[in-house]
Amino acid sequence: MLTPAELVWLIAAVAKGDEAAFERLYAATRAKLFGVVLRILRRQDLAEEVIQEAYVKIWNNAGQFNPGMSSPITWMASIARNRAIDVVRKRSEVSIEEEPAAMEVAADSPDPLARREMSEELKRLLECVGRLEPDRQKLVLLAYYNGWSREQLAAKFETPVNTVKTWLRRSMMDIRECLGL
Amino acid sequence: MMAYSEDHIALAAEYAIGTLDAEERAQVEAMMSVDTEFTAMVEAWEQKLGVLNQMVGSVEPRPIVWENIRAAIGHSGTQAPLLLPEAPPPAAAEIVRPAVAIDNSNVIRLSAQARRWRNVATTMTAIAATLVAMITLGVYQPDLLPDGLRPKPRTQLVEVKSPAAPATPSAQYVAVLQKDGGAPAFILTVDGTTKNFTIRKVGAAPEAGKSFELWLISDKLPRPRSLGVIGSGDFTARPVLASYDADTINAATYAVTVEQAGGSPDGNPHSAPVFTGKLIEAVPPAAPAH
Repeated sequence: MLTPAELVWLIAAVAKGDEAAFERLYAATRAKLFGVVLRILRRQDLAEEVIQEAYVKIWNNAGQFNPGMSSPITWMASIARNRAIDVVRKRSEVSIEEEPAAMEVAADSPDPLARREMSEELKRLLECVGRLEPDRQKLVLLAYYNGWSREQLAAKFETPVNTVKTWLRRSMMDIRECLGL
Repeated sequence: MMAYSEDHIALAAEYAIGTLDAEERAQVEAMMSVDTEFTAMVEAWEQKLGVLNQMVGSVEPRPIVWENIRAAIGHSGTQAPLLLPEAPPPAAAEIVRPAVAIDNSNVIRLSAQARRWRNVATTMTAIAATLVAMITLGVYQPDLLPDGLRPKPRTQLVEVKSPAAPATPSAQYVAVLQKDGGAPAFILTVDGTTKNFTIRKVGAAPEAGKSFELWLISDKLPRPRSLGVIGSGDFTARPVLASYDADTINAATYAVTVEQAGGSPDGNPHSAPVFTGKLIEAVPPAAPAH
C-alpha cells in the first residue's frame, strides 16, 4: 500500500484525467476496497460489479476529493461501501429469506489486527466503541463490517427492530460524544 | 456547525454506518445534495468510522474487473480537453464568487469541476446541485436553469453555494417522491419562508396523452388538494402552497397521480398515487452565529 500522501497525489492526477495514475491508484487500493465490499455483499459477482462502479465514480469524482477532510483510502472505501450498502438494501427487500445461509457466514468477526498496526484514529474509535455495552459494541461492528440492515440485526440479537433502532442511535450518539465530534 | 437537531445527527451517523433502509438512504442523499453542511457531517462520520476498514482483510479482485473499469472510463471520452476557462462564468456566479488567483491547484480543481458536471448528468447529485443553486440564489424561474440538466462547464452553479450569503436564508424542505421505495422519480423542494416549491422530474415520463399531477394529502383536509400539473420541462415552480399553514405543509404527504392530459378536470385525483413522499428539513434556517 502506498502512503496516504502518495495516494493524494495520485487522486490529484486522476482528477486531471491521468489514466496511468488511475491504474496505479487502482493497483494500490483494489484489494482493500474489494475486501470491504465482498464482506458486505458476500457474492463475488455482485462485489465485482460494485467495485467497477465504485472505481468509475472515483475516476469521475476525483476532483471532489478534499484531502483536508478525508484520508484518501477512507474516501475511496466510502464510495465503494456506500454502493455496496445500496445494493444490499435494495436486494434485501425481496430476498432476505431466500438466503438464510448468508447471515451465518457473515457472523465471523473482522480480522484481528495487532495493536501496533492500528492507526491512532482506529485506537481512539475502538476505545469509544469499547465503552458501549458488550451487545452494542457487537451491534455497531456487525452493522459496519457486514452492512447489515436493522432487520438483520434484530434477527441476530433476537430483539424488535425498534429496539435495534434505539440502540443504534444511542450508540452512535455515545460514540459521537466520546470522540468529541 | 449549524444547529442540526439530534435527529439529523443520528440520521447522518446511521447513513454512515449503513443501517438505513433504501428509502431513508435516498432521502439522506437528497439532503446531502442540497446541504453542504449536512454532507460534511455525513462525511465526518464516514471518516471516523472508515478507520474500521483497517481491520478488513484485502482480497484481490479478478483482472477482468480492471478491464471493465478501463473500458467504462474509456467510453466516457477523453478527459483533458474539458478545461473550463473557455467560457466566462455566468453573471450570477461572478457576484458571489470573485475571481480566484490562478495557480496550478486551481486549474486542477476547475478542470475536475468541469468533468464532474459532464459526468453526473444522470445522477441525483447533478439534479440536486442545480437545486442547490436555485435555492441559494433564490432563483425559482425554471427558464434560468440549464436545459435538460446537461450542465455545461461554464455553468458554475455548484461553485455558487458555499460563499453565497443569501439575504434571507430560510429553511429548505425536500421530499423525494418514489414508488415503493424505488428510485426517486421527483424531488420536491419547498422554501420554508416563501412556501414556493419546485418539483424536479428525475426519471419518470408520463404516457402519451397523460399528465402527472401533484397533490397535497393531509389529514387536516377532507380530500387531496391539487398543486397543479407537473410541466413537461424538468422543473416546475409554483407559489400555490402559500395558502396552507406550515404544519399542514410539513406533515402532508405529497403524491403524484396520472391524469388526463392537462390535469384532473374536476379537482379530484383519478389514479392511485404513483409516487409519494414526505418533506424532510434539508437545510435548517441559518443560525445567527456559526
